[in-house]
Amino acid sequence: MSRPGFVLEVDDRTPPLVVHEGLGFRLESFPLGTRVVYPPESLPSVPDVDEAIREALLHPVDSDPLPERLFAGMKLTIAFDDLSLPLPSMKSPDIRGRIIEHVLTLAAEAGVDDVEIIAANALHRRMTAAELKHIVGERVFRSFFPQGKLYNFDAEDRDNLAHLGTTDQGEDIEISKRAAESDLLVYVNVNLVAMDGGHKSVGIGLASYRSLRHHHNPQTMVHSRSFMDHKKSAMHHSAWRMGRIIKDTVKVFQIETTLDNNVFSKPYDFLMKREWEWSVRDQASMLAMKRGLSVAPQKLRHKLFHDLRAPYGLTGISAGEVEGVHEQTLERVHRQQLVEVQGQSDVLVLGVPYLGPYNVNSSMNPILATCMGLGYYFNSYRHQPVVRKGGAVILYHPLNEGFNQLHHPSYVDFYEEVLAETTDPAVISAKYEKQFAEDEWYRHLYRTSHAYHGVHPFYMWYWAAHAMDHVDEVIWVGADRKVASRLGFRAATTLQDALEMASGTVGTSPSITYLHNPPHLLADVR
Amino acid sequence: MTGFLKGTVDDVRTVSRGWRWGRRSMVPRSAEEYVLPARSTVFPSDWSRKRPAIAAREVAQKGGLEPLFRSQVRTQVEGLDVLAKIDGPVIFAANHASHLDTPLILLSLPDEWRRRTAVAAAADYFFDTWWRAVGSSLLFNTFPIDRRGGAMATTPGEVLADGWSLVIFPEGTRSQDGWVGKFRMGAAFLAHEYGVPVVPVAHRGTFAAMPRGAGWPHPGRRQLTIRFGEPLRPAEGESVREFAPRIKDAVAQLLDEDSSTWWESRRRAASGATPDPSGPQVAQWRRVWAQTDSPQVTDEPSGRRLAAWRR
Repeated sequence: MSRPGFVLEVDDRTPPLVVHEGLGFRLESFPLGTRVVYPPESLPSVPDVDEAIREALLHPVDSDPLPERLFAGMKLTIAFDDLSLPLPSMKSPDIRGRIIEHVLTLAAEAGVDDVEIIAANALHRRMTAAELKHIVGERVFRSFFPQGKLYNFDAEDRDNLAHLGTTDQGEDIEISKRAAESDLLVYVNVNLVAMDGGHKSVGIGLASYRSLRHHHNPQTMVHSRSFMDHKKSAMHHSAWRMGRIIKDTVKVFQIETTLDNNVFSKPYDFLMKREWEWSVRDQASMLAMKRGLSVAPQKLRHKLFHDLRAPYGLTGISAGEVEGVHEQTLERVHRQQLVEVQGQSDVLVLGVPYLGPYNVNSSMNPILATCMGLGYYFNSYRHQPVVRKGGAVILYHPLNEGFNQLHHPSYVDFYEEVLAETTDPAVISAKYEKQFAEDEWYRHLYRTSHAYHGVHPFYMWYWAAHAMDHVDEVIWVGADRKVASRLGFRAATTLQDALEMASGTVGTSPSITYLHNPPHLLADVR
Repeated sequence: MTGFLKGTVDDVRTVSRGWRWGRRSMVPRSAEEYVLPARSTVFPSDWSRKRPAIAAREVAQKGGLEPLFRSQVRTQVEGLDVLAKIDGPVIFAANHASHLDTPLILLSLPDEWRRRTAVAAAADYFFDTWWRAVGSSLLFNTFPIDRRGGAMATTPGEVLADGWSLVIFPEGTRSQDGWVGKFRMGAAFLAHEYGVPVVPVAHRGTFAAMPRGAGWPHPGRRQLTIRFGEPLRPAEGESVREFAPRIKDAVAQLLDEDSSTWWESRRRAASGATPDPSGPQVAQWRRVWAQTDSPQVTDEPSGRRLAAWRR
């Protein structure tokens, strides 16, 4: 029996609460009356995953069963979400690999020879062979990778992109040529949060910069309220417009999966429990971990956290027509993550953890930390933001991880050159985006190395545009002051200091809400 | 290194305070409705009624509990003569106001009765961890009963059938303000079912000496009084529902007797004027206030206490 999420009101009986901050966490004593939003506990997972996959493929939503859509001599492409999902990476076997195996089994039975498997990484970095293998599993990897039939999507390979037209609002639709010309495109997704999936899968995952720039920009992001609610997200509206045109030209069989909230395996599972329910063992684990982290060098802490694999359970799988499938998916995501919150507050507190979608096996640089806090966590709402217009956001992260030169080369220049000039997303977009997006060196690194595309740091900054537009004050607790200042924010040592600093904006006794994630939650603010 | 040690001390201190080491953990008020029902795992206590445990308990009670108890409170015990009239097992049904009630009753009993008396204790409170279960079973011979009416590994019936007398607090929990609460049917049911007499027990002063929330008796050796009443048996054809109120009435009369005299309490009982043990319906503070006074013990009209033969 899983308990629903709820809003705790901190009182004299409340123990200190866990707040994530990068490669570590702290125990914070919040002021009395602080609201703390706890996510629902894990929903029951599907007892027989293989049976559930078979069932979904044979009885899809608004579509013929998959076996009927497969035939000898066809061109079949299977695309799947890259390593940015789920977070943290899933313990083997990854659900995508299991689904792909089922699809391939059916394809083999139907005598399909021409099969290619593409990681839908858009402008994300190319995954390494080991990362691909982790997702698709050993059988699929061995059968396709050496032949070059399992590969990362290359959004800069002009010869292998297809322009499918433009929407009624003039948005270009340019996606993988192989996917566009296939007789069937099977997309395998992991719908970790509400923004994933739907028309965002093919329309964004397999798209080029030419296509992405129409919705990945500050204007759209400011009007995506939030991008976790696709019906109120300008970004999703654009993706949906594109998706409907893609649907007319490409036959897509969408497979969406939803996971439970089981993000930490033992002995770190105390991080998912409600603190006042910690057993003696949980308290001991927490103390041991906290003390261990305090003396461990950064490299070791990084390894410890990034080696964690989540024991996710599958809460459901739907397959078939994109929109019908996505509706079912969202219902399950909401059931797992939605928490009703009454009214906005003056201050929103967020703990930015060690991991976001773009630093899997990499480092959480200051831009990614901003994106994680002000982008993903701030936008984890429906109806209205958790914090009121003109309020303050207090984030926890040391901002001291530096940049990974292999994965994030363009971020370094974005930080050193662009942010030194301005932090305004609109100005940044107008003045610098094109230059970074078309830079030959970044293009080369994206295509041949494991670098994120040159324009990617811009998108991260746009992700936070709505939050920056909405609140008046952003304060980082425990952060490097210089870095925070470069980002256009302020740093404080403790929560008390941060509240003191914010008092000019929100007064001396503000209402405070802390979103207690991970695990993932979506605040339904009434 | 110094920094690490200091950090460790700080962290341990934070955790020990936040999670109330050595005390019961508390749930934030707003989270109470989301707390899962208590675990059904209850640690067994059968071993505690076996010979080695009985011997260990004798040493613990006589060598540890009794001297400590007497060093903290003064007691006056009346009515033990009723036990001479009956053979065990019996059910001692007492009012419940404090953790002192159990040692008070046990240590007031004659040794041969005490050794064969077990105490019904809330499974969710005394048997939720192994150390609490072992501690309370060893020291007080407790066995678990479920306040919510679930099934237990050991039933009170089995303990009675083995020849053990039982101490049962029919209120099911300690009083919030020292006054007697609603009596549940358990004791009456057991007496009815197993044909054993119920000895009503009334005590006063335990709330004043150590109320709910206190971890140790108040200093100054507060006075406690305890009085055992005439055994009650269900009459022929009397149902549990009819028998249960008689137990409460008997306890009420004993309380009345304890605060006045036997004769006066008998006369009030005869005229149906026994004071309601649940206390006057006045402001809560006045109810608590009235119970914070320890009972006055005067044996002689002069007010001088007779020290000899008192326990």
